[in-house]
Amino acid sequence: MTSTKRQRFDRNALVAAVLLLALLPLAFGGSSYYMRLITLMLVYAIYTVAFNIVFGYTRQLFLCIGALAGLSAYVSVILTHHLGWPPWLTAPLGVAAAGLTGALFSYVAVRRGLGIIFVGIVTLVFSMIFQNLLFGLRELTNGETGLETRGIAPAFLAEALPSYYFILAVLALALLLQYLLLRSRTGQAFRAISDDDFAAELAGIDVVRYKVLAATIGSCLLGIAGVVFAYQSGFISPAVYSFVSVDIVVLVSLLLGGMGTLLGPVFGAVLFTLLDEIVRPFGHLNVLLYGIFIVVLVITFRHGIAALLDRLFRLRG
Amino acid sequence: MIAILIDGIVQGLQLSLMAVGVTLIFGLGGVLNLAHGQFAVVGGIATALFLEAGLSIWLACPLGILSAGLLGLIVDRTLLVPAYRLHGEERLLLGLLITLGLSFVISGFLDYKYADVALTLHLPTASVNLGGIVVRTSSIAVALISISAFVLLFAFLKGTLVGKVVRSIIQNERGAELCGIHPARIRTLIVVLSTMMAGLAAIAQALFTSVDSEMGGGFTEFALIIAVVGGVRSINGTLAAGLLLGIVNAFASYLIGAYFTLLILLAIVMATLLIRPQGLFARLT
Repeated sequence: MTSTKRQRFDRNALVAAVLLLALLPLAFGGSSYYMRLITLMLVYAIYTVAFNIVFGYTRQLFLCIGALAGLSAYVSVILTHHLGWPPWLTAPLGVAAAGLTGALFSYVAVRRGLGIIFVGIVTLVFSMIFQNLLFGLRELTNGETGLETRGIAPAFLAEALPSYYFILAVLALALLLQYLLLRSRTGQAFRAISDDDFAAELAGIDVVRYKVLAATIGSCLLGIAGVVFAYQSGFISPAVYSFVSVDIVVLVSLLLGGMGTLLGPVFGAVLFTLLDEIVRPFGHLNVLLYGIFIVVLVITFRHGIAALLDRLFRLRG
Repeated sequence: MIAILIDGIVQGLQLSLMAVGVTLIFGLGGVLNLAHGQFAVVGGIATALFLEAGLSIWLACPLGILSAGLLGLIVDRTLLVPAYRLHGEERLLLGLLITLGLSFVISGFLDYKYADVALTLHLPTASVNLGGIVVRTSSIAVALISISAFVLLFAFLKGTLVGKVVRSIIQNERGAELCGIHPARIRTLIVVLSTMMAGLAAIAQALFTSVDSEMGGGFTEFALIIAVVGGVRSINGTLAAGLLLGIVNAFASYLIGAYFTLLILLAIVMATLLIRPQGLFARLT
């Protein structure tokens, strides 16, 4: 495929995916259970897009996805609760906090030349510290019970359908941003870095700048998704942003969908939601099934669904 | 004060015993084993099951340790093969993901099947008086177990030809291969040895508290942290980091309480990684 054809194909696929997601409430709109499920799916799709930008494109293993989303959510909700500031003012502050933290990690890691494992461990330790602080700073965070956001949330986020479309709009913007980034010079730099950052450095690419840029954008997106979800779901608690409930799900979704692809994160999040529904009735066995699934997945097709579909289309075109 | 120091040292030794397997497997196989704590729990649960079946403790413990090693052997020869085919960062990443999945498989299985099984070991006397200091017998036992395990490990690595081969692969896998060494077999040996040491660490833990199916994740976290703080390729470093964290942990819990201790430990780990990514004690290899 030539590059203009490729771009047109990507753009059409993107629009089609967003339209399909926009039609979903027609199928599930009647049931509040399924509305909550597909809304959650969109939030995880945004997390996965963000993680794709950080990890899929620039190979920075951020194991603090939940912590960054939670940081943004807690900063905003705590400021709103304790100081009475409106959410539209505190939400950007929360997002900024997440963005700055992500940027700082990335900057220090790149500057010190930390390998992928070390970035993973540093950010994992940050997740552990964050979780412990949430439990410990009881007077601010209300411990494991968490904080209500029902009364302070903007009105449209309390209703199922408007909040679904609002979050879909955020996802669409995230996807658009990802698309534009990749089309630009930045995208070329990202691809070079994901292939081999040493070679990229030699080719004159400012690796520090692009890695920090990717981490900042990704962390801000995580913050946005985290804070929107906080006001949409009605409450926040440490469990909502824990390592197990966010980071692992996002990691599996990205693998499932395909790392470093445009629509892979969305495919992954949708498939994971389906899978989660299938596994749910097994109760106690579901952890075991997840495990088997992850192992089979990473061993058999490491490049994800998006790559598979891409190959199929390319064979035809 | 001395009692706290002893507590810290013993705890540190036991933590190092858990973590040294992570160091060995990473150094030799290039795989960061995220299921290491789960292997330990498998050893612990298997021991408990053997005890329940009526075996004596002297038979049940070795059999439990062997069970952990056997699982290690199977995993090394089946699940990890695709990872070993790759090199460098690719292998690291695939290994990370496979062992992450494996940790879920083991935890999920144990939770499902053996949720009510726990290993607790009691010694006949609770404490002895050593020159005015009251020491728990379990502390002495754990210290003896850990020290002898480390002495054996060092004797193996420094004193035998296979040990020399192991060290050569840790230094440079490609180079060792060029010298006619077949890394796969040594790797299997080390994975089995490491998982057996994890099983031993779980049995040591059972002398203090009971070990049940839910403890794998916590074990893995501590093993990873200690291995990384010690410099993830250095066995001496792992031992030193384990001791340091054990002692800091004991004093801090005594002086300022468990909650802040955990935060301090985590902060130390993060600072270490950012300031000296090669590990605190990397020079000691």
